[in-house]
Amino acid sequence: PHSGVVKRRSKSQSYRRSIRTCFGVASGLGLTPALTARRMNTSRKAPRSQNITEKVKPEHLELLVKTEWQLSYVTPLYQFRHTQLKSYSRQLSAFIAAEKQEGLAVEVGGLQNTFKVSFSVLQGLAETSDDPETVLIQVQSKPMFARQEDPPKTVWCGWLSCINGNPEYLQSLPKDFTCLPLFCSKGAEDLSSLVKSWLQRTFDCCFGPLDINQTTLQWLAALWTNCHMETNIQNLKMIWTLPVLPPLQVTYTVDSDDVLDLWRSTRESSAEKSREAEDEVCIDFSEVTRFMQGLMSHFYRHFRVDLSAGELNQVSSALGSAKVNGKIKISSSRYLISIFSLLTECALLKMPI
Amino acid sequence: MATQLNLSDSDSSDLSDQSVFTRRSNRSLRIAEQERRKKEEEDPFVLALKYFSEVEAGTPATGNDELENNLVRVEKVAFSRGLSPEAISVMLDFAMSLRMGSSPCARVLKCLLPASVVPQEAVVRAIVWLTVRKLPISTQVLFMKWVLTVFDMIDAKDKLRAIYGFIFSFVTDENLCPFICHLLYLLTRKENVRVFRVRKLLEQQSKLGRQPYLLYLLSLYKVFCPELVTLSIPSRMKSGFKNHISPWKSALIAVQKRNDMQVASSISLAFAVRDKTASRKRKHAHLDLPSLNPVTIKEPQAAQSSSRKLVPMQQIQSFAQLLQNMHRIELPAQMGSLLGSSLALQYLDCVQDESALLRLNFWLGYTLHEEFLFCSDGGANKNPEEALQFLNRLLSVQHFLQEGFNSSDAFMYKFLNVWDGSLLRPQILGLLSNIPVIPSSQIKTLLFDPLMQLFFTSSLFFKCGLIECLNHMLLKWLTWHSAYALEDDLDISLNSHTSINITLSGFKDSVMELVHFVGRLASVGLQLEDCHSLLLSFILDFYETVCDTFLKFGLPLVVMPPPGVFYPAFFAADPVSVDRLAFIMHRYKVNLTSAKRQEKVTEQGFHISRQTFREFNRYQVFLVNCLWNSNMCYPEADVRLSDELLAKSGVPQFSTRFDLIHHPAFVSYALDFHHKCWPGRKDTDLNSIKQSKPWNWYLEYLFTQGFDGLKDFVQNSINQRVMMAGDGCDNVTQSQKLGSAPHIKQPLLS
Repeated sequence: PHSGVVKRRSKSQSYRRSIRTCFGVASGLGLTPALTARRMNTSRKAPRSQNITEKVKPEHLELLVKTEWQLSYVTPLYQFRHTQLKSYSRQLSAFIAAEKQEGLAVEVGGLQNTFKVSFSVLQGLAETSDDPETVLIQVQSKPMFARQEDPPKTVWCGWLSCINGNPEYLQSLPKDFTCLPLFCSKGAEDLSSLVKSWLQRTFDCCFGPLDINQTTLQWLAALWTNCHMETNIQNLKMIWTLPVLPPLQVTYTVDSDDVLDLWRSTRESSAEKSREAEDEVCIDFSEVTRFMQGLMSHFYRHFRVDLSAGELNQVSSALGSAKVNGKIKISSSRYLISIFSLLTECALLKMPI
Repeated sequence: MATQLNLSDSDSSDLSDQSVFTRRSNRSLRIAEQERRKKEEEDPFVLALKYFSEVEAGTPATGNDELENNLVRVEKVAFSRGLSPEAISVMLDFAMSLRMGSSPCARVLKCLLPASVVPQEAVVRAIVWLTVRKLPISTQVLFMKWVLTVFDMIDAKDKLRAIYGFIFSFVTDENLCPFICHLLYLLTRKENVRVFRVRKLLEQQSKLGRQPYLLYLLSLYKVFCPELVTLSIPSRMKSGFKNHISPWKSALIAVQKRNDMQVASSISLAFAVRDKTASRKRKHAHLDLPSLNPVTIKEPQAAQSSSRKLVPMQQIQSFAQLLQNMHRIELPAQMGSLLGSSLALQYLDCVQDESALLRLNFWLGYTLHEEFLFCSDGGANKNPEEALQFLNRLLSVQHFLQEGFNSSDAFMYKFLNVWDGSLLRPQILGLLSNIPVIPSSQIKTLLFDPLMQLFFTSSLFFKCGLIECLNHMLLKWLTWHSAYALEDDLDISLNSHTSINITLSGFKDSVMELVHFVGRLASVGLQLEDCHSLLLSFILDFYETVCDTFLKFGLPLVVMPPPGVFYPAFFAADPVSVDRLAFIMHRYKVNLTSAKRQEKVTEQGFHISRQTFREFNRYQVFLVNCLWNSNMCYPEADVRLSDELLAKSGVPQFSTRFDLIHHPAFVSYALDFHHKCWPGRKDTDLNSIKQSKPWNWYLEYLFTQGFDGLKDFVQNSINQRVMMAGDGCDNVTQSQKLGSAPHIKQPLLS
């Protein structure tokens, strides 16, 4: 009786099956390959200056750059439709109104004089055909004592996006799910949590804080430095904290030309490789590590302080700044896509399955 | 005053009448029936009801003695036995129609205590009267309170629901509004929720301010049609509708008790906006289960056709309802909420929806990751109590569903690498034991490496816990195999893309890896812990599962314990361990012989390696030689010491030291037996037990001490001929002679 393939059925399959369809048939048992497969890319393309203005509307770009965004990750949204944004706007407006005035029921779609929510598609950010279009959410409000003719002010803004998301992961999700793993928000904390809780209840998703960890910060430092070949980054500023008493904070600023020299020298060894494929300049993480080591040993020579014992908290340049607590600001739209690709990758790494 | 006296007089005569009547009734039933009818006609209560149903409109009420008399009669019955449905109908009609003006109204309403049920027609008629006649406001309110009080006793509600719109129109009445809202709350069905009603209620809200009753009704509307209205109920308002049943409550309970009826559940229970557990303030409340809320945004095409018929999970209150609506239950907006309700779990067990399970897994995985791995707000270390509750709930859910969730499995693989082995140990080990079969190629990195590290660096209790957990895991794997392998025999034509393909040999490999892994842990663990008997006991538990894989679970696989487990168990100083070892060896033998038999019958069968048989034989020979033949030092033995060394130890007759008499585990039994056998003897000579008769008695004696494993082992593995041969033989020397060729029941498995 026991020969060949043992087939199994009934409900237990459906539990396991759900994950199997999610990740292809890597293993018949529906084992999560998350452990072995989903790691941070160790190599990525060097950011290339893009004229993004052709793809994205200028008013949208204006919105994205020069603001500091608080990052979160989001599990895939269930039953989200890009075609129903109007209905979502009505729902969320009513939800915010009801939550803001507890104990007062609010008609959905009724006229809200306090908060007006608008959902819209922010076209042009999606890079591949698997990336769902970015969704922009804005909450507008009229100040209490505003005059009639005053335009409403945007009090909160946030967007859900997926830029260059891992195609395997995206394709493995069933059709009902929309993966927009990166959530950037700006505005009052209470509105953020209201919007999040509405999204959670409506699309059965979960929000978690997305910090920009050491590795990502180091990547950003290297990527921005690399950009200096095309665009002036002025200087590279890094802030470290060292675990001593009292805590020591080190602000380490390097002139852009010097830091590019260092970067070039760390890349020289692998330069041959990249020359082979001229148009696809790839940066390997080992180069990033060497670059950071170079910066740290330079610091050590001068100040006798070993930065590797501490933590990198912040990296900034003329192109933007990123903090370990998940706050990022992009100052130039030219490298927007590559930065957000990196962040999308970080967000996808946080997915529980 | 006079009337009351009269009444009591007539009452007493009534009683004497009745007693006479009962005496007479024995004689003739027919006469009794006639009498009864006649009596009923004369019954003052019946007459009173007749009066109320026939009294002409416009009859003055003040100074009307007839009315007073009749009313008192009705009241008397009402407060003692309660009113019959017909009586309720008559009295309610009388009161609400204002036939005698509004003055007796309140008094009548107050005595409307139903004996059994309230006919809904009466209520419907009364509600209609409410609009026709001009009742004083206080009476209107009293009536509404009465309806709410007896709501559960109204015999049917379909007609009341039919006039939903009519009842709804009273919402604009400021005085009635709270009670109307409550009544509507009890009556509302999905089809009653309409935009214009929502608007009306919101209009009332803007007129009356934040009134809990409006909010509660709207919150129910939100359950049915979340796309129409939204609201949030502040925590101080969560108590539900106020209790409106004061005037009747105690009287009603008294009546019901007298009538031996089940006390109707107080209607205030019908309302539960949210459970009472106050959610503690936490910055990130990952561990809070989402509440059961219906889906807000529906698919446009679905909204028209099917969603009318769907029942939100939140509305399902009982198992019977669940069964009725099984085919049209609407999943909640957040799948995580299903874990919070036992009814929903029943449903989850049958949910075949892939997306739904994926949603649940996303939520669960997210929660576990945030709490235990990312620890964004301090995680489980900071909130051990909540984490404990959460994991316990998860465990009970998994226990109920009899399997784990793959998000929690994936979480476990990560968590094992950072676990300190003590945080929430029972729960984590519980989750671990629910992990499904892992392919042997990955089992090492996912499971063994982190567990090995934990095992060797943790306390004895952790070691015991882990062995127990792995035993549970093995049991679950084997059960899974036996359940589904059997099922397949019945139905082979399975849809291939829904089945999970794991080859039998793949499954066997995984099980073998697991058993070998535990064998390694056990061998080293016993050394580290000085063969602690507690640890040994858990290890023997594990091998009790292992030795029966073929017969109990139909898995053609037999794995013997490593010497590091076998010998410590044999040399253990407690008889329980030795007994269990004997039992395990006995089961191995039964499994192996039956496997061999099957191999012969089915030709193909499966192949058990010769190595396994060899190992088994070696252990078997050792056991028999030591326990039975008193010959520990036979040539092929695993454990061998040079004779000189043994001689140096000064132990006399070292070779016999581990037979059934001298084995440290049994020596006390041997002494006890000796005392019982030869009570008079002064000097104890244990060797005298070895004579054939006492030997058999001794065995009997041991078996009566509860050593069933030993009994099984001896009866099945030791050749009767040995016993026979032992007959009349002179104890030790003879046994030793026999020992050179171990006498084991043939055939020795090979």
